[in-house]
Amino acid sequence: MSLDNLLSNWSQYRKGHEEGGFHDYEHRWGMAIDLDICTGCNACSTACYAENNLAVVGPERFEKGQAMHWLRVERYWDQSELDHPEQGASFLPMMCQQCNAATCEPVCPVAATYHTPDGLNAQIYNRCIGSRYCSNNCPFRVRYFNFYSYYESSWPEPLNMQLNPDITVRDKGVMEKCTYCVQRIRSAKNKAKMEDRKLEDGEFTTACAQACPTNAIVFGDWQDENSQVAKLWKKHEVTRAVTKQNKDNPEKRGYRIFEELNIDPSVMYLERVREKV
Amino acid sequence: MAVNKQNKKSFGRIGALKHNWNIKLALLSILVALAVYPFVVISSDASIDDVIPPVGTHVGEDVPQPIEFPHDIHVKVNKINCMYCHTYARRSKVAGIPPTSKCMGCHKVIATDKPRIKELTEYWENKSSPPWKKVHDVPDFVHFTHERHIKRFVTDRDFPVENVKEICAFCHGEVENMTVAHKVKPLNMGFCVRCHEDNGGPADCWTCHK
Repeated sequence: MSLDNLLSNWSQYRKGHEEGGFHDYEHRWGMAIDLDICTGCNACSTACYAENNLAVVGPERFEKGQAMHWLRVERYWDQSELDHPEQGASFLPMMCQQCNAATCEPVCPVAATYHTPDGLNAQIYNRCIGSRYCSNNCPFRVRYFNFYSYYESSWPEPLNMQLNPDITVRDKGVMEKCTYCVQRIRSAKNKAKMEDRKLEDGEFTTACAQACPTNAIVFGDWQDENSQVAKLWKKHEVTRAVTKQNKDNPEKRGYRIFEELNIDPSVMYLERVREKV
Repeated sequence: MAVNKQNKKSFGRIGALKHNWNIKLALLSILVALAVYPFVVISSDASIDDVIPPVGTHVGEDVPQPIEFPHDIHVKVNKINCMYCHTYARRSKVAGIPPTSKCMGCHKVIATDKPRIKELTEYWENKSSPPWKKVHDVPDFVHFTHERHIKRFVTDRDFPVENVKEICAFCHGEVENMTVAHKVKPLNMGFCVRCHEDNGGPADCWTCHK
């Protein structure tokens, strides 16, 4: 990518931002997460740690907010004034929402984060200088900064043998984030191209979706009308490039977090169904 | 020669005729070869005309191998295809170093008296393999796949597989003139990106960076 190429991509992206999104997508990876069947078991988070070489930082650093979990399961109490069993916990797996008009992208001074033709927010670790602007501009707080070099503390011998060779181990001073398991996307696309065919829905999935015991997380190509994720979005009448979904019908449980910020996230959550008290 | 003489003796005129015919055939074939030669060269050049090879040179360090493997003898003299030994190039990300069994497939019978082959046989008999060193290594943060490049430049273009070394030479140099492989191309980002721009490869960062 020459400078020309970079600048034209940049201006295309800026223009796309005004027009409600960059339009020429090859794929457009998206997710649908059903909070009603999510049990908060954290299998997705664990799978993410294993797949993406996430560092385990230890309790002290975790308390300081330096944990590196690309996918965290957030816990909310429905009635926090009540005692434990009656509080009514809700869980919400929160990972990078791969916003179509992402707030992290335009603030990067070195274009280390950019929008891919697949509709993902990419993070190029080599290019990152660690300014942390992107993290500070992210409304979801899903970008994680390597304040330390975790290689020796997180994977002492022989644990380094478990590292995934398809993804770099990030070093100190680099921002990192959920990539929708881009290494899996890459190898699936590679396989499809070797066989001269198009990618099929369900051919591969992300580590979190694969690990989910209740299939609460559905991953796929939102652009492909026949994909499971596109069908779910359609079923719950959630559309892209809007700041508010039509929520008149309580049967349609779909919503996107912070969509009112006009960031166009790619993850649709399905509201939890609660019995009326 | 001795056989020829015997033939002449036993077959008389027929043998002489045959001999004459052989000379004619040889002359004719030389003529044909001379006439066709420029076209063959041109056509093999033309077949890589629609691609622009990456530009750049590099002076790589000598990588001492456990056995000084002579690529020149295998490729130039014996005309063995690159993908006979580096068989995974068309099937996977890495081209692969052949297992010792592949070496022994030939060297159980060929050149068994040579010192290097004796060394190889020793490894084979100890059920181990020579610890070959990697010469063309890209950094860990780079995703490079041989199979897609072979598909793009060989399979999809109906490029004759027997000439595949011309394609391999884009990034590996003329290995046929080396003994042990030597890094002669920079294999850095500029080298890759220029070729991707010239030949319409993907320009997305995440295609190669991981």
